[in-house]
Amino acid sequence: MSRFAGKVICLWLVCLAMSAAASDPEISIGTSRMAFERIDMLVQPLEVVSGGTEAQEAAWLVESVIRVDLDYSGFFRALSAEDISDTTQIQYAVEGLLEGRLAGTGVTAQERAPLLTLRLVAYPGRQLLLSKRYRPTWDRLRATAHHFVNELHLFLNNEPGISLTRVVFARGDGERRDIFSVDYDGENLLRLTANRTLNLFPAWSPDREDVAFMSYREGQQGIYLLDTRTGKVDLVNETVGSNLAPAWHPSGEELLVTLSKVGQHEIYRIGLDGTTIRRLTVSPAIEVSPSWAPTGRDVVFTSDRTGSPQLYIMDADGSGRRRLSFEGRYNDAADWSPSGEQIVYACRERDITQIVLIEARGENRRVLTNSSWRNCEDPSWAPDGRHIVFASDRTGVFKLYVMDVRDRTSRQLTFGDESDKTPDWSP
Amino acid sequence: MKRTLVMVSIMLAALFLIAGCGGKDQAPVVDPTTIETEPVPDEPVAEETVAEEPAPIDYTSMDPQEYGIEDVFFAFDQYDLSDEALATLTAAAAIMSQHGDVTYVIEGHCDERGTVEYNLALGEKRAVAVRDFLVSLGLPSSQLRITSYGEERPFAYGSNESAWALNRRGHFARP
Repeated sequence: MSRFAGKVICLWLVCLAMSAAASDPEISIGTSRMAFERIDMLVQPLEVVSGGTEAQEAAWLVESVIRVDLDYSGFFRALSAEDISDTTQIQYAVEGLLEGRLAGTGVTAQERAPLLTLRLVAYPGRQLLLSKRYRPTWDRLRATAHHFVNELHLFLNNEPGISLTRVVFARGDGERRDIFSVDYDGENLLRLTANRTLNLFPAWSPDREDVAFMSYREGQQGIYLLDTRTGKVDLVNETVGSNLAPAWHPSGEELLVTLSKVGQHEIYRIGLDGTTIRRLTVSPAIEVSPSWAPTGRDVVFTSDRTGSPQLYIMDADGSGRRRLSFEGRYNDAADWSPSGEQIVYACRERDITQIVLIEARGENRRVLTNSSWRNCEDPSWAPDGRHIVFASDRTGVFKLYVMDVRDRTSRQLTFGDESDKTPDWSP
Repeated sequence: MKRTLVMVSIMLAALFLIAGCGGKDQAPVVDPTTIETEPVPDEPVAEETVAEEPAPIDYTSMDPQEYGIEDVFFAFDQYDLSDEALATLTAAAAIMSQHGDVTYVIEGHCDERGTVEYNLALGEKRAVAVRDFLVSLGLPSSQLRITSYGEERPFAYGSNESAWALNRRGHFARP
């Protein structure tokens, strides 16, 4: 009962925050000024009930992960008590409060899993909206904090946030490039291949269990499937010539690839065993970089049939081709947003490549980056439809960056001297 | 002649070295005096071999550039062959036709500008253009394989036209 009431109150809170957008049907959330406003959340230090130093450090870790998740969500802003000048006015300064307690049970903290309780309280009114209890192992505290923030998103927005997501990408130098994955906040870097050759274009399957990618591991280009749980790699397709950039169908049962087995680059739908489901293009031009609409009804891709690479959309059977990009001499690497309404891609003009956002209908083209970013390539949407990840060589070497396309705030995701390219954000 | 003699001597010496180190029993004890002295008595043999018949040059183990097959270069976002490239390839075809047993991999490369995927496709178009011209001159296509590395394996580093021009190429490599 109280939880139901809480949810209603909370939804009302969110509605209040979005009221300007909601009352004016002409303002969509993505473009209205309200999109820049965040919900302020006061994050209190966790109360450590028992467990000594180890428990205190665990509590600090959980709190810091929650803060980062809130700030990186684009939806919330994490505040500390120090951020609020007049503490008697907290109920007016924030809309929610996150608090919790951690008990490091047992005599030595390592012996037993800690008990973690995390709560969301709404202001004003101090209504308890969400309370979660976890008993994670000590090495799963970070994942548990991400999980709680994801629950918060599910509760408030009825859809998951991005706190549990990961990014795959290709890292290396001229001779070799391997597939890596990393948490969306830059933690937990994992190497997925080590075959001393070039591996590129990793792509998460919709169920996140497999990563499809292109590799020269047998000496020529091939499309492969990597099982992320076992590390097992299976060949999907290795026909003569190009085997480029697999893109998953939303069903997870087939891939879009570019093959040149007929002597020219064409886009195919293939099964995970390499069987051709359908050839979608017929043209002597270069046709590459396909990406499915989330409905699985349309495909956006690149063709240089007019003499320079431009974006086109076609139906799932290859018919109904229409041109999407008309500005810029060089457009490629399109990725369709999870909502289906927007497409993000790379556009080269005046010798610099920038990230561009356009509505799938072809309207409202906006360049998201500027020349201070130098070259930006291979954008990929986060499942929240608000963030993108892309590669930029602004520091002299290509590294990955995350951008909130609504307010264009950004952060660097990967670091180090080797170049990072072709990222794909997990579902 | 003198050079060939030297090369054969070096190769023979290397062979003995490999043979000397190859056995499991000898491997732990490497006696430097053995390595130095062993090839010496065999030198006359090397001279005799050369005197009998000139040692064939193993072209399959040489980079094509070492015997006159030159790379060709392209304009930005182009895969058609310039007059200069056609002349280079015509000369290359003459050499290749003398070595019918050698297989060549034609690698298409691009400069760093543009996107990874489109450049991989463009690189293949360049490799195909080179292959098709060589085939038109009468070379068997079985002697020619193609691949593309796009912008992934640059020959020159740097973000300027001189580096870019060197990286837009069709490169002849060993398989």
